[in-house]
Amino acid sequence: MDRIRRLINLTAYLLDSNKPVELEELRDTVYKEHVKSEKSFKRMFERDKEELRENGIEVELVKDVWGDEAGYTISKEKYNLPEIEFEPAETVSLMMVSRLFLGSGTPFSVPAHTALLKLGFDRKIDFENIPHFRWVDPPRLSTILEPILDGLQRKKLLRFSYRALDSSEPLEREVEPYGLFSHRGFWYLVGRCHLRGEVRSFKLDRIISDVEVNRLSPKKPDFEIPSDFDIEREAKWEWPLPVGEEDIVARVYFSPQISSFHSSGPIVPVSSKLLKRGGIEAVYEVADPEHFVEWVLEFGPEAKILSPPELVNMLTERVRSFLKSIG
Amino acid sequence: MKEKVSKRLNRILLLVPYLSSPDGAPTGALCKKFGITREELMEDMHILFICGVPEYTPYDLIGFDVENDRIRVYQADYFSRPLRMTREEAMVLLVSGRALIRAGIFEENSSLATALDKVESTLTALERKETKDMAERIQVELELYSGKWSKVIEKGINNGRNLVIDYYSYSSGEMSEREIEPVSLVFSRGHWYLLAWCHKAGDMRYFRMDRIGSVKISRNRSTKRQELESQFPQTVGEYRAGRKSHRVKLIFERNAGRRMVEECPTAIWAEKDSSTIEVELQTRNLFWLSNYIIKFGNEIGIESPPELKELVRERSKQILEIYRV
Repeated sequence: MDRIRRLINLTAYLLDSNKPVELEELRDTVYKEHVKSEKSFKRMFERDKEELRENGIEVELVKDVWGDEAGYTISKEKYNLPEIEFEPAETVSLMMVSRLFLGSGTPFSVPAHTALLKLGFDRKIDFENIPHFRWVDPPRLSTILEPILDGLQRKKLLRFSYRALDSSEPLEREVEPYGLFSHRGFWYLVGRCHLRGEVRSFKLDRIISDVEVNRLSPKKPDFEIPSDFDIEREAKWEWPLPVGEEDIVARVYFSPQISSFHSSGPIVPVSSKLLKRGGIEAVYEVADPEHFVEWVLEFGPEAKILSPPELVNMLTERVRSFLKSIG
Repeated sequence: MKEKVSKRLNRILLLVPYLSSPDGAPTGALCKKFGITREELMEDMHILFICGVPEYTPYDLIGFDVENDRIRVYQADYFSRPLRMTREEAMVLLVSGRALIRAGIFEENSSLATALDKVESTLTALERKETKDMAERIQVELELYSGKWSKVIEKGINNGRNLVIDYYSYSSGEMSEREIEPVSLVFSRGHWYLLAWCHKAGDMRYFRMDRIGSVKISRNRSTKRQELESQFPQTVGEYRAGRKSHRVKLIFERNAGRRMVEECPTAIWAEKDSSTIEVELQTRNLFWLSNYIIKFGNEIGIESPPELKELVRERSKQILEIYRV
């Protein structure tokens, strides 16, 4: 609480004063009750400046006309939110954007909220009547994402315990975080893994420990990101293609009940026709048969694969083995 | 610890301008706007209480009074405007903006692009570089949002009208019509949902966008929207436990079990032995689960409840039936 008060007082003084404030002056006012020695005062002042900088407040050292250090100041122009002229359409779209992560359970949620409040300050806008799109994640993600974002920002090593899909034991990993992406609703960290010696993607749901950010030399980056690193390329991985590698053409029947869902699945139909009794027959080019069969299965007996026989076999085989397995 | 200080500082510096107008601000509405409780607001006021500028006499300290449930702050002219956008805030706007463009909600050259440029222009050159560098390394993917009903639904939300939807319910396995009060469009774990008050269920429900069969605007106006906004449920879909929920216990082959746990956020799992995993979850209805688990083939076993076993057996037989020549 003392620290926050001190930071507020420091900001208030430097923002309010018409002329630069000398170091001694600060020591005898804002820092009077906080420090015992000159040395500890200077350390504390440096830390506070850094903290304010992190928050977007620039404490500047100003020189006088003779080039001597005159004192410290915070410029009002740099501190104050400028009155930006937005077109009405721009305001609406910015509101929509800043609401995406509101209450999302990710560390984006707080900055999204404060950005919204800042944008709304000069405008009488009825927030409630702007359509909103929101992102919701399970709460655990927030605690993992926070240190990851910190490591990404400051380029510091991350350590965590990771259970890979293909290994039975979780392993301790040390990773240089390069980037972060989400795919099909799941978050992945991309970085150089010291254990494997190459760039890998880590699914955050498989991190089973806390994520620890390297505490040594906090102001110095631990690594450099290769100049050809491209998050878009990393995020574009596809499910491995099965043997054959050619797309399979599949025809599927949907009952009248659920016919409108033929175009809502993982792939867009190439063509579809409405049948006399209200059902729909749709044609798909399938790259991943397993994934496709599983999607059709979710409709139970309301959807039926008409061809090719390989996919029909795959589906009925799956159901038979299921029946056998549950006894 | 550090995080806490900076978040709080940012909030207090933003609260003051909102409270500095001659009439102050109504406490309740302000708390709602900032998403904080009355206690948190009073704690923030308590921090401000003895802040100010030298000589720190009563005339130099920030003052505030509380009257008729309104708070007003005075003697804080230097804090009369909010602090400009921070790097972090600009980064979140950039990342979200890009995701919404990629999802088809905004066009590439829409008003959003020019608005984001204006926000960026308020940063210093160094901050702009750092923000861009960070935003370029984060890619958020939203499922393509372009269903044929999106325009009608947005219209309902914008004009405060109820919607009548045809919905394919996993609980009953059939389409049914219901009147709903739309609240919000929500993206969670790979799917878009419409969050709404359902008059049929008498409760808040998430409706998966791709299972909505048709939408009409109702003649009735939405009445609960404002009130519903605040009760934003955090767990999406059929996994939400309730009074009538069933306890389900499943045995999986290792990898299949992990997949189930990943797709079903409320499931609890434990290793049974070196090759199998036991998954426990609660669900309000078994029907969706019966459709969902058949795809696991021989990598799954059902421990309980017996009704689920009965249900999936019947479902499986129905599926095999339609493939009989």
